[in-house]
Order: sequence, then C-alpha cells, then structure tokens
Amino acid sequence: MNKLRTVMVGAAALGLAAAATPALAFPDGPIEFVIPFGAGGGADIEGRLLAKEMSAVLGVPVTPVNRPGGGGAVTYTYIKNSKPDGHTVAWNSSSVLTTTNLGNTDFAYDAMDHVGRVEFQPQPFVVKADAKWNNFAEFVAACKAAPSTLKVANSGTGSATHTAAIQLMDAAGCKVVHLPKGIKGRNKSVLNGEADAMIAPLTGAVNLTNAGKLKILLMPTAERSTVFPDVPTAKEAGYDVSFDLFRGLSVAPNTPDDVKSKLADAMAKAANSPEFLKLAKTKGFTVAPLGHEDFEVLLAEENAKVKEIFASAGLLKTQ
Amino acid sequence: MSPDVLAGIAQASGFLVLLTTALGVFIGLTVGMIPGMTISTGIIILLPVTFVLPADISIALLLGLYVGGMTGGSFSAVLLNIPGTPSASATALDGYPMSARGEAGRALGIAITASFIGGMVSFLCLLFIAPLLADVALSFRTEDMFALVFFGITIICSFAAQSLVKGLLSGVIGLAIVTIGQDPVMGSQRFTFGQVNLIGGIHFLTAMIGLFAIPQLVSNLADTTSAARIQTKLKSVLPRLADLRAIRMPITIGSLTGAFLGILPGAGGPIAAFISYDYTRRISKRREDFGKGAVEGVAAPESANNAVTGGALIPMMTLGIPGDPVTAILIGALIIHGLAPGPLMFTERGDFAFGLIFSFFWANIFNFIIALTALRVLVKLLATPRALLMPTVAVLCVIGAFALRNNFFDVYVMLFFGLVGLAMRWLDMPVVPLLLALVLGVPLEENLRVALTSSQGDISIFFSSPISVAFLSLSALSIIWSLRAARRRRMSAQSSSKESSS
Repeated sequence: MNKLRTVMVGAAALGLAAAATPALAFPDGPIEFVIPFGAGGGADIEGRLLAKEMSAVLGVPVTPVNRPGGGGAVTYTYIKNSKPDGHTVAWNSSSVLTTTNLGNTDFAYDAMDHVGRVEFQPQPFVVKADAKWNNFAEFVAACKAAPSTLKVANSGTGSATHTAAIQLMDAAGCKVVHLPKGIKGRNKSVLNGEADAMIAPLTGAVNLTNAGKLKILLMPTAERSTVFPDVPTAKEAGYDVSFDLFRGLSVAPNTPDDVKSKLADAMAKAANSPEFLKLAKTKGFTVAPLGHEDFEVLLAEENAKVKEIFASAGLLKTQ
Repeated sequence: MSPDVLAGIAQASGFLVLLTTALGVFIGLTVGMIPGMTISTGIIILLPVTFVLPADISIALLLGLYVGGMTGGSFSAVLLNIPGTPSASATALDGYPMSARGEAGRALGIAITASFIGGMVSFLCLLFIAPLLADVALSFRTEDMFALVFFGITIICSFAAQSLVKGLLSGVIGLAIVTIGQDPVMGSQRFTFGQVNLIGGIHFLTAMIGLFAIPQLVSNLADTTSAARIQTKLKSVLPRLADLRAIRMPITIGSLTGAFLGILPGAGGPIAAFISYDYTRRISKRREDFGKGAVEGVAAPESANNAVTGGALIPMMTLGIPGDPVTAILIGALIIHGLAPGPLMFTERGDFAFGLIFSFFWANIFNFIIALTALRVLVKLLATPRALLMPTVAVLCVIGAFALRNNFFDVYVMLFFGLVGLAMRWLDMPVVPLLLALVLGVPLEENLRVALTSSQGDISIFFSSPISVAFLSLSALSIIWSLRAARRRRMSAQSSSKESSS
C-alpha cells in the first residue's frame, strides 16, 4: 500500500515535472520559422533577417522554411496543426486575415494563437509620375466623370493591396476596374499605362517613386508616413479608411502563455536590432512591435474590416 | 569609358570576387545537374550566406550560380534523359539520343559552347542596349503577353507531328491540369477538393520531375542488358569544326530568342528553349534527324536558356522588375545590402551596377571553363553501375519535389505524374505538349483573363495592339506551317509504303 502510494506520488510528481518542463526550458531546441510566401519576396527577406536576429536572442537555431501556397493558407494550416510548444512559428501578415476570409482555409484567423506584430507599412495609392492627376481629389473627379473606365492594379484578387483598393475606392464612391496584375506585373502595368493607378505596399513603390517614375497621391493609413511625410493620409483627404500591411508571428492554438511571452520578447528584441532597423529604413517599412494582447485587438479590428470589404466585393466566404 | 564602367570592371575582377564567381558557377553546375534541384533552390540555399557577405561578393556568387545552373541542367538531360532544370527539357530531345549512341562528350561540348555564346550575346545586350530593351519589355501589355504566350503554345502542333490526336490530347490534359488551384481573377478555388495544398496549383517543376524521371527510371529497371555499357571515353570535348559550322544558325536563333524572351517577365527559360528548338528544326534541311541526336537540336535550346539569364537581368537592372523567378530572388538579395535595383541604380550606384554586369561576364567565362573541365569527370557518371546510379536519382527526385515548396504533398504529386508519364510512354503519347501546357497554361490563362477584365469582356483588345496582332498572326502561321508539314510527311510516308508493298 505504502509502496503503491509512493509510486503514485512519484508518478504524479513526474507528471507535474513533465508538464512544467517545456515551459521552463523553452526554447529547448531549434525553432522552425515558417514563411508563407516564396523565396526572395518581401516577406521572405524580412522574415529571414528577423529569424536570424531571433536566433541570436534565443540562443537556438531559428530556421526559416518557405511553405508557399494559397496566399498563406498552406502555412497557416500547417501552424494550426503543429505542436503547441512554440517551436513552430509562422511569419504571418495581413494574409492571415485575407486568405482565411477568402475561404482558402476552413478556419478563421482566431483558430491560431498570435504572438505579436513586428512591423507594418502603409499601402499607398500610386499613379504614374506624369499622370494628369496631382492629388486624390482630381482622380476621384475623373473617375466619377467616367465610371468603370479607370483601372486600378493590385497584387492579386483577395490580396492586401486588393483589399485596400476596394476599401478606398468604395469610400470615395469611385467605380473602377480592379486589375489583379500580380506582384511582378503590378508596377509594370502602371508604368506602361495599362492601369491608371495602383495600390502597392509602400516598400514596393519607394524606389520607383524616388526615381521619379511614380507619384504617390494618398496613404490610406492612420498617420503620415515618415518616408513620404508630404503625402496626405486618406483621413486628411476626407475618407476615414486605412488598411496597412502588417507582419508578425503566429503559433499553434493553446500554446502556453509564458512560451508566447518569451517568443514575443525575443521577437521585439530582434525587431529592434540594428540590422533589422537598417533593413526597415532601406525598404521603407515601420518597425513597431506589439505584444500579444495589443496584436489580438488589432487583428480583431482588421478582421472586421476585411469581412466588410470582402462582403461588399462578393469575395467573403465564411467559415 | 565612364568611370563607373571602369569601377565596375575593377569590382568584378578582384581576386575574391572572381573566386566567388567561380565557386557560384561550380555550385550552379552541381544543383542544375541534380534532377529536381533548380537554380531557385540553389539560390535559396545560398541566400542566408549572402546576408553576411559583402554585396559585390554576394552578387557574384548568385550570378555564378544562375549561369552555371542553366548549363548544369543540360548535363543530366544529355546523360540520363532527365532534365536537371525545366529549361533543359528541350536539350534532352536530341542530347540523350546522342549520348545513347556514345556521343555524350560531343553533345555536352556543343551544349557548353552554345551556352557560352548565348550567355555572351545576352551580356552584350545587357551592357550596350539595356535601356532600349527595357523600353521594349515595358511596352508589352497584358494582351501582348497573352498573344506571345499563345504563340509559344502553338509549337505544341510541331510536337504533335506523329499523331495530331495524341499530341493535342497531351496538350489539353496539361491545360486542364493548370486549372487546378485558385482562379486568377475571381480568387475562388477550382478542383481543390478541400485540399489546402492544391490551392497553389500543381507546380510545373514537380510535374516535370515525375514526367521525365520516373519513366526513365522504370525503363532502366526493365532494361537488364546492362552489359551494353555506353562508351564513355572521350576524344575531344571541344566541338569539331564541322559541328561548329552546323550550329551557327541554331545558336543565332537561340541566343536572340533567349535574350528577347528573357526581358519579358513571365516568359523565361523553358519557352525560349522550346521555341528556338522548334524553329531551328523547321528551317533545317535535315528535319528528320531532329529527335534522333542532331547537334543543332542541342545547340539551339542551350544557347537560348543561357541567353535568357542576361535578358532577365535587363528589366531587373533598369526597372527593378524581375524577368524570371531567379531575378526576383536576386532583387531581394540586393535589397538586403541596401542596393535597390531599378532606375536609380545606374545613377546612384553606377559602379555597382556595372560591377554586376561584369560579374555576369566573368560567370559566363568561368562557366565555359569549369563545365568543359568537369565534363570529362561527369561523363564517367554513365559508367556508374545502374544499381547505384538509379536509386540515387530516385532519391534526388523525391528530395527535389519536396524542396521546391517544403511540402511533402508535392512528392505524391510528383509520383502521380510519374504514373502519368509511364502511361503516356505506353500509349506512345508525346510528353512535350503536356509539359509546354503546364509551363505556359498559367500565364496564358492569367493574361487572357486579366486582359478581358481590363477591357470588360471586349475581345477586340487583342486586335487593337500591334504587338498582339503580330504575335497572333505568327501563331496562325505557326499552326498552318506545322499542319502542312505534317500532311506532307504523311503523304510521303504513304507513297513510300505503297512502293514497298508493290
């Protein structure tokens, strides 16, 4: 009897220890850093650098792995089904809201746990440098004078740029033709006059704007960009809309809170590393780490926006 | 010469930079040669390394890999009939028959020489007329891209020469397969059956590995007469004078087609290789030798796929727009170093821009030297016992299919296409139309749908642009030409069979 009790107590103690170990020892091995898009793109370059800096903070290898497909759906499905021990993280983006609401996954964004935000960038409204419109109001006037003739390019149907384009055009009461030109064709289509304007992530438009080939008319974002402080925000132009492209980290559902906070801590330190800040300056995105709770609030707000925008465009597929 | 050009030559010709260029070429030749490992895969593996290296060394390494990879793909195409990269699939058509009759060294010597000339032609375009070509690239609108891709897809007719029904069927199966995945305009899912891994569609590389490698492995299994080992002794690796004379025209066609298609985003290596192969065959006096080991059939696609590299660098350097997947990755790699390719690169960092161009020059020189040196060793590969060689290739195919998107689902897709390839070989159905449809189907549909979205359903958009009209007319000519040639061949075959029976 006594013996049995000892064994039971021992087993219970072992069980407790086993349950407590992963949290105490995190990270106790390499971390898989899953990038939802292909190599060489914006998400990839930024993600790889962040992973490298996080590895320096955590003292374990943080290995970037690209798992592209379905606008992020492949990665998010993989993360949702991964072990909730914090050793598999997704380098998420606004795609976590767009691809889920497009019905590419059979779950919503909240089926995963989210660690925090790392960075964001506005998605400006851009025209060719020699276009006849010098501000957004002139574009809107032209568009109202001839509905459904002007063309606005984006990176693909249901992408963050498309979402922002629908939102801005709807708010301005503009009927335009949305052209899903893809990431590679978007800038080209504005330069050769095929599209009259485009919504692009700021990082995708900085160089051509500085080179005098494109001009930015408006930023549908909360505050004026530090890169182009002369460009008005949508709100200043009278349209209360904003849709930024953000990037952050997600993990499997039911990941312990202390694991998430350790990850969030390492993420923020990596984001503020000199190397990462230098990349942000070159590319034009804003490093603004948000912790788990603030990020959840942001995600909920943005998700409501995406749902509304997609519903108006007939793209929404509810889970 | 402007000081930027001189600074560029100096930057590219430093000892360390030259050494890394050569190293890049070597790695490129290796990954290009391995079935399933593509240039993109190689660059992705090297990308993290370049984060810590200086910019001039990084770009030299990556450019070396890019150039080497294009040539490396032809090695396995010629030696094993398994193209190492999609751009080398056309090379296998004549390269493998040559190697099967014991002329592997001759075939590879020609492939390497053609690659070198193609690369150099595109280097000259890049150095002297890049801004001009960039304007041409920019003037291609969606409808023009559709017409160009449509023209590319008409060469299916040429490959359907044996049996029009089987050839077209093979092409149609390919076009049906590319409809799997997300609709390019609506964003909705098609034929994904709730399988998240199918949303991204079937990657043509996965399909290519299965279609080419698996039937080849199986036929090697069935062939137990391994005693008939292929002669692997080489007399000379440099092409003979008569060969050089024969490949003058194919290389001219290949280099110009490659450099031109390289500058157009979305066209790329495989299509340049197939178009130049097809047109070399059409104008050749010895048409019937193609597919049985004609040197021209090796030279044309090999010069074309290496000319694509320099061509693809043109819109990247001048506009910041990638010409193909590899240059898209190169742009990312340059951004890490605070160097943004685009219109400002030549004015702000002209020295670096020309450094890049001259690193590309050196990469082509090293590619020629290293490939010719390695050739003697590589041809010995054929002497490896099949019991060792074939399982290795099988393992590499699985790794390659997985590594493409780090997704095991793609391995099953590869194996499925292996079965498709076997069935097609059994039915005597040509694989090339299926492959062309897989490569071109996606841009064909995307450009068609986006152009029609832009014109709001009005098909006159394809007839209002001169470029589009030109390519659509060429497509019509191409089809008529192929059909007439096929009929003539059938008639002559009939009359000869009548003669023999009488």
